[in-house]
Amino acid sequence: MPVILALALKDLRILVRLRTGLFFTFVWPLVVAILFGTIFSGEGHASRTTVAVVDEDATTASADFVSRLEKVATLQVMRADRERALSLVRAGKRTAAIVIPRGFGEAASRMFYGTPPTVDLWIDPSRTAESGMLQGLLFKQGAERMQSTLADSSASREMVRKARENLRAAAEAGVATVPTDRFLGELDRYLGTVQAGAQPAGPGASWQPLAVAEKPVVDPRRGQYPQNSYDLTFPQGILWGIIGCVMTFGLGIVTERSHGTMVRLQMSPILRTELLGGKAVACFTAIAIVETGLFVIGRVFFGVRPASWALLVLAGVCAGVAFVGVMMLVSVLGKTEQAAAGAGWAIMMPLAVLGGGMIPLFVMPAWMVAAGTISPAKWAILAFEGAIWRGFSTAQMLLPCAILLAVGLVCFTVGARAFRPAD
Amino acid sequence: MLRLESVRKTFGAITAVDDLSLAIARGELFGLLGPNGAGKSTTVHLAVGLLSPDRGSVVVEGLGAPILPEVRARIGVAPQAVSLYEQLTAAENLAFFGRMYRLSGARLAKQVSDALEFVGLGDRRNDLVRHYSGGMKRRLNLAAAILHDPDLILLDEPTVGVDPQSRNSIFDNILALKARGRTIVYTTHYMEEAERLCDRVGILDHGRMLALDTVPRLLASHGARPVLQVVSRGREVRVETDDPLAELNRLAASGPIDDFRVERPTLERVFLNLTGRRLRD
Repeated sequence: MPVILALALKDLRILVRLRTGLFFTFVWPLVVAILFGTIFSGEGHASRTTVAVVDEDATTASADFVSRLEKVATLQVMRADRERALSLVRAGKRTAAIVIPRGFGEAASRMFYGTPPTVDLWIDPSRTAESGMLQGLLFKQGAERMQSTLADSSASREMVRKARENLRAAAEAGVATVPTDRFLGELDRYLGTVQAGAQPAGPGASWQPLAVAEKPVVDPRRGQYPQNSYDLTFPQGILWGIIGCVMTFGLGIVTERSHGTMVRLQMSPILRTELLGGKAVACFTAIAIVETGLFVIGRVFFGVRPASWALLVLAGVCAGVAFVGVMMLVSVLGKTEQAAAGAGWAIMMPLAVLGGGMIPLFVMPAWMVAAGTISPAKWAILAFEGAIWRGFSTAQMLLPCAILLAVGLVCFTVGARAFRPAD
Repeated sequence: MLRLESVRKTFGAITAVDDLSLAIARGELFGLLGPNGAGKSTTVHLAVGLLSPDRGSVVVEGLGAPILPEVRARIGVAPQAVSLYEQLTAAENLAFFGRMYRLSGARLAKQVSDALEFVGLGDRRNDLVRHYSGGMKRRLNLAAAILHDPDLILLDEPTVGVDPQSRNSIFDNILALKARGRTIVYTTHYMEEAERLCDRVGILDHGRMLALDTVPRLLASHGARPVLQVVSRGREVRVETDDPLAELNRLAASGPIDDFRVERPTLERVFLNLTGRRLRD
């Protein structure tokens, strides 16, 4: 095993066994991301899909359908008019808008013939999983509505009455035999296709209890606002995780120096570059694990969706490089753990706050954003946000990434030059 | 095996080692004796290449200056401070330090097991070091120094703060290493340890070597003569003499002896005679 890898694995093993370090590196950032994300969203039920429902039909059938949706446990339904519903979806405050257009009640009164009742599902095309889930839910409600209608004899008789009215109207128009002939013809064709194993064709054969028309909602402001509050808080959480790594590994070096293990390492035949390289690899690995772990949780459970996976990886690598350099600098801030910890937090806290670690960058006052320019935390969050919701192009990503790499290089060089294994 | 010639090392205004010359033979167990701050640890750090001398030279025979990694690979050091990772087990500590000496695979596993057995910690190999007693940590500190089977072993105050049982165990380990032909430099401020273990002893004070020889010769040249203490008719008499038995016979002829005791010269006395101070002042 290469010496650098052995050094890194030793540090990571110690990190796993240090409960305090582990808490501030992995658990606390997750708490920050979830807690602040929930607070900012104003929602207490992150697992429920939020939809806006627009009833433009205003019939008994449409009201019944809305009522059914409101009873679905996995949906959080908000009634709104079309304009407001669509604006909420565009702003990312609702996952989708379900619009019940005029004619829904009329279509719902026909069974097995004619145009089925239709609802429009307005949703961002990129939300394929949510779209599929919502379509399934809507079909289910449509089927249940039909089932309950069939179970209700008065409602069924009303449908039969309406169908006979239609037949009478056709007879008065001199085309009385047409529907019957057509019905029989269709039935014959249907039976023939069933026998041949093919799908039935024709308007009657493909009738379904509910039709869902998916309509795309493209946020005209996409690239300017996050899609949900977790888009903001997970980059913040990742930043706190990175800071946890910086402090843990930076102070770890100080501890090694004060406890004498660093002297023993320097007395061994390893090179100074191997020693520093091992520390850097350990810190970078921990940062990468924190970034990946938090992002996976954000993606799977909180709907954090990157605009670009490639840029997200780039942001993660650049942030890792930057803060490995900062870690090296923290390790030379004091000769004792207390001194280094005091100086380290005194520097890291304002940098984190100015960089958007607590208040999102886009709601900060201008002076604070300007002051935050000196903070690598700002550039790290900007890079993550650029990859997640700001919709940065590769060219736009170059600036924060270049600054992060430069910060890493300068800090690591300064720290490594000041690094003394023993006093 | 190890040669220091006219070595000088200063830290600001403090001269830690001043014009120190020393030649330690292969297989020798050499003691560096002196009070705290005498320059013993600085000498060890110079010998292992952790520090570079301001003046003079340090050479490991046949290999070169210890600043070179390949020379350091042949040296084992047990630092004065217990230098171990408390969150790792004993075996994990040794495996890690073994890798720093480029050991790997089956050889590393064997060396780790052998070192743990050697210091009597084989049955505690999987315990976290933070659960070890002070004596056990000291023994593991020694194990980490000999893990890679070095030719030259530097032990910097290896018995500080340990219980008598662990101290005796460490003494046994050191004598066993000497029996294997290892060259050992042993720093201590305990006179009795140097007298018990070392072939030769160098007495350091304020960075300077005050005397260097075998223990009997140091005692003979700097320790003064044995002292005979006699109690006769309730009166205590102290007589410095080269022949305590003859002196006791002479006193017995002149009156009854109620009690007597012979105080042999010690390295403590040598140090007192050389510096005018006690070793632990």
